[in-house]
Amino acid sequence: MQPRKVLVVDDSKLMQKMYEVMLRQYPLVYASDGRQALDRLREHPDVDLVLLDVNMPNMNGLEFLAQLKAEGGFADGMAIVIISTEGREEDTARGLEAGAAAYISKPFHSEEILAVISRLPARSAA
Amino acid sequence: MSDRPAPTASGLELVAELRSTLDRAGELARVAEINLRELAERGGGAADSNRVTELERRLATAESDVKELASRLVDSEHQGGRLMNLYVATYQLHATLDPAEVQATIAEIAINLLGAEQFVLLLRKEEGEGCDIALLGGTAPERGDGNGLYGGEIYAGGDPVVDATLADGVLRLGPTADSKALAAVPLRVQNEVVGALVLLKLLDHKPILRAEDRDLLDLLSAHAASALFAARLFATKDRKLRTLESLVKLARGE
Repeated sequence: MQPRKVLVVDDSKLMQKMYEVMLRQYPLVYASDGRQALDRLREHPDVDLVLLDVNMPNMNGLEFLAQLKAEGGFADGMAIVIISTEGREEDTARGLEAGAAAYISKPFHSEEILAVISRLPARSAA
Repeated sequence: MSDRPAPTASGLELVAELRSTLDRAGELARVAEINLRELAERGGGAADSNRVTELERRLATAESDVKELASRLVDSEHQGGRLMNLYVATYQLHATLDPAEVQATIAEIAINLLGAEQFVLLLRKEEGEGCDIALLGGTAPERGDGNGLYGGEIYAGGDPVVDATLADGVLRLGPTADSKALAAVPLRVQNEVVGALVLLKLLDHKPILRAEDRDLLDLLSAHAASALFAARLFATKDRKLRTLESLVKLARGE
């Protein structure tokens, strides 16, 4: 997958900077919680990849996924990758069940993220 | 955010170059294979036999180069990632003059880059013995190590590994028989040890500190305290400046 625009949802400024450096070949937009992320998706309909933290204030990652599903936000084939410090098997299963295409545990190596992105199927809708 | 190129750029360029070389080596191997196949189909005399031998040698060399380059590519990507972590950690530590934000960054490095579930940031008290517990990260109900050493607002000593690090400024890795600390990282401003970051527990899916984590621990040792103290100094001076400005205004009757 070569994403057109990536939405980074993480309340950590350190991680936002990390993604800025790691994914500088892609246009990025940022959100610090699930509510902001929903707003960003409305503002940026060309976002086709979301990197999503789980533990965030106001609306966490799983709540964001549930809300997105309720609003039909998955319809256009947007890919969501959860990147979280919660790395137990049940956490991974819960994330994938909620609609994420992949689940990566923090701390990660940058090549893991890039490899996962490259393996994601291209967005079907133009 | 800075517009300067990240220092990982050269690493990524190296990776791109290695990929390109790898592709060329793969192409060479394919050409050699095709030539070999053609020769085998044609048959031939001694000259062809020599050529086959030469091509086989070249093919073996190319395959060996491919393996070597693939290995170097993996190492380079890993090295690039490691340097990126160090760059981002340093950048973010010095990106603010707000002491609370610097502390938050230290916590974020501990959690997101080192995989710490429980940790304590100790800063020497300005007056008297012991250290202030500036930051306590972790979710365990017993707070910290479970021995009550970090249960209050002050660490008065008691963990031999942490005490030794606070005394001599040497980074220590554990745990040991008498300490649960997985790492005691001295925090230095110039040559003075002003505190320590103590890692008490890692996330379950990250059982041990890896070799590259040592670089991050060294970075924290060198940069965390100076960033924190610069921010505190700025905050103190800023507060004093505001007080003086208020006094001047008052004196002028404004």
